[in-house]
Amino acid sequence: MDDKDKGRRDFLYTVATGMGVAGAATAAVPFVRSMQPAADTMAASTTEFDLASLSPGELKVIEWRGQPVFVLHRTPEMIKEIRGHNQMLKDPQSRAIPEVQAVWMKSEAQRIDRSIRPEYLVISAVCTHLGCVPTFKPTPGQKDWGNSVPSDWPGGWHCECHGSYYDLSGRVIKGSPAPYNLHAIPYKYLHDATVLIG
Amino acid sequence: MIERMLNTRLAGWIDERTNAVSFIRYHLIDYPTPKSLNYWWAFGSIALVILIIQIVTGLFLAMNYKASTVATGGGFTVAFDSVERIMRDVNYGWLIRYMHAVGASSFFFVIYLHMARGIYYGSYKGPREVLWLIGVALFLIMQSTVFFGYLLPWGQLSYWGATVITNIFGATPVIGPWLTELVRGGFSVGDPTLTRFFALHFLFPLVLFAIVILHVLALHKTHSNNPTGVEQKSKKSVIPFHPYYTVKDLFGIGVFLIIFAYFVFYNPTGFGYFMETDNFSPANPLHTPGDISPVWYLTPWYEILRMIPSKTGGILALNLAFILLFLLPWLDRSPVRAATYRPVFRQMVWLFFVAILVMGYCGHHPVTPVYNLIGRIAGGVYFGFFLLLPFVHKFENPKPLPEEEGA
Repeated sequence: MDDKDKGRRDFLYTVATGMGVAGAATAAVPFVRSMQPAADTMAASTTEFDLASLSPGELKVIEWRGQPVFVLHRTPEMIKEIRGHNQMLKDPQSRAIPEVQAVWMKSEAQRIDRSIRPEYLVISAVCTHLGCVPTFKPTPGQKDWGNSVPSDWPGGWHCECHGSYYDLSGRVIKGSPAPYNLHAIPYKYLHDATVLIG
Repeated sequence: MIERMLNTRLAGWIDERTNAVSFIRYHLIDYPTPKSLNYWWAFGSIALVILIIQIVTGLFLAMNYKASTVATGGGFTVAFDSVERIMRDVNYGWLIRYMHAVGASSFFFVIYLHMARGIYYGSYKGPREVLWLIGVALFLIMQSTVFFGYLLPWGQLSYWGATVITNIFGATPVIGPWLTELVRGGFSVGDPTLTRFFALHFLFPLVLFAIVILHVLALHKTHSNNPTGVEQKSKKSVIPFHPYYTVKDLFGIGVFLIIFAYFVFYNPTGFGYFMETDNFSPANPLHTPGDISPVWYLTPWYEILRMIPSKTGGILALNLAFILLFLLPWLDRSPVRAATYRPVFRQMVWLFFVAILVMGYCGHHPVTPVYNLIGRIAGGVYFGFFLLLPFVHKFENPKPLPEEEGA
């Protein structure tokens, strides 16, 4: 073959191969996208919850996107408690990772309470250690819970699988195997008594 | 650039342990190919590209398809609904489904042209008999694959097409009814039939792919035929496969992809031939649609089945039609390969192709006296072609063959 034209030949080969690679990448996109959640899965991505169904102090565990979610109607005592024990928490301001933060955390109070309004907590129920659903132990101290909780127990959740503790905002307590607070999830108020999760 | 990659130390290391580089050089780069190949030789590589498209789109469809006839209300089933979900909810599901449907028709269109090349240019003659046999076997496997696949959407034509064709097994003497029940997994086409057809439809294309490899290996042993039909043995009459035929084949594939893209994006139902209208209705086991005929690429064979007025006779005729195809290398006794140089054979071949088209046309329509008659005449031409072949060389005066190029 003629070496005079080698430069032109190389150019043509490079451009043609480049187009081929671009074409292959473009063709791959629909196939990869088809593996992502389909429209019906995405439509099932929100759940409504009627807050009026909770009496003060009551916890419900509901399902959202196939995962468990805590919805808790906090009493005034509970709200006071969560604002007073930062020293026993690993991440009192919920700043460690993006998953413990949420778009709706606009004020400092919302960040501490980890809720849009302090009376209702809507938080992920998946322990950030290895994924169990922690047990609700709302009253402070050891009177109701015995040795399963430490003597300075503020009230919250105790994960029975490996012994992690969370307060009534879902913030992880020091000494727990779990590294992070319970993850925050997107939700909003549709009206005063109804939230839309997701 | 490929040369540079093959000459690296890594390539050498791999080659020492696998012969991979020598294999690639022999079969894809240095493979001596006649200079004179025209674009009728491009259909083989195009068919391979379509097979790969079908396997990839099929795999992604299988990620969302559900083979179950459990009713979901209103005559719909889980299977039918899962196809609609792919069309509406799965991201780009509509595109993948349309590619698979258009791909199926494209596959048969290309293979028919590929086979036509083989018949016209005498590529079936010695020493390429085994290549031809493997090819006809591949064609039959393709037909089985498409038959299994067509049931999956569980539409009206899916159900009734499967019912009619599985009924054919009932004509086998002695074990007929037992065999039909065995194939169906029940007394009629139903859920067991659907699940096993899904499994078989997934498997067969992979078997096809493996046998295609054998097909290419057989080709590479005897080397390609060419439009003159005269073996090109001298060094001056052959050129290396790469870059000449890699680039030419890529061009052919490019033209194909343009036409393919037109149908996928602007006409996926192919005027009702690629995706038949009746199959958009869910299967109703209690009502057969008025005009029932197979998809266009199976209509010639369906017409052969129908043209004999007896059930067993029709099945025997269909079997014979395929057996004759297998026997082609031994029925044709002329030493001249290409129809270009065989005046009698050339006319016969064109008549043969037209007959297949006519049978296909008749097979698409319901049985009326006119279509029946025309179909039978065409069938006569089809079988006549094979029956006449052994005698043609005796009275044919072939034209003088061209000299081997560069000899």
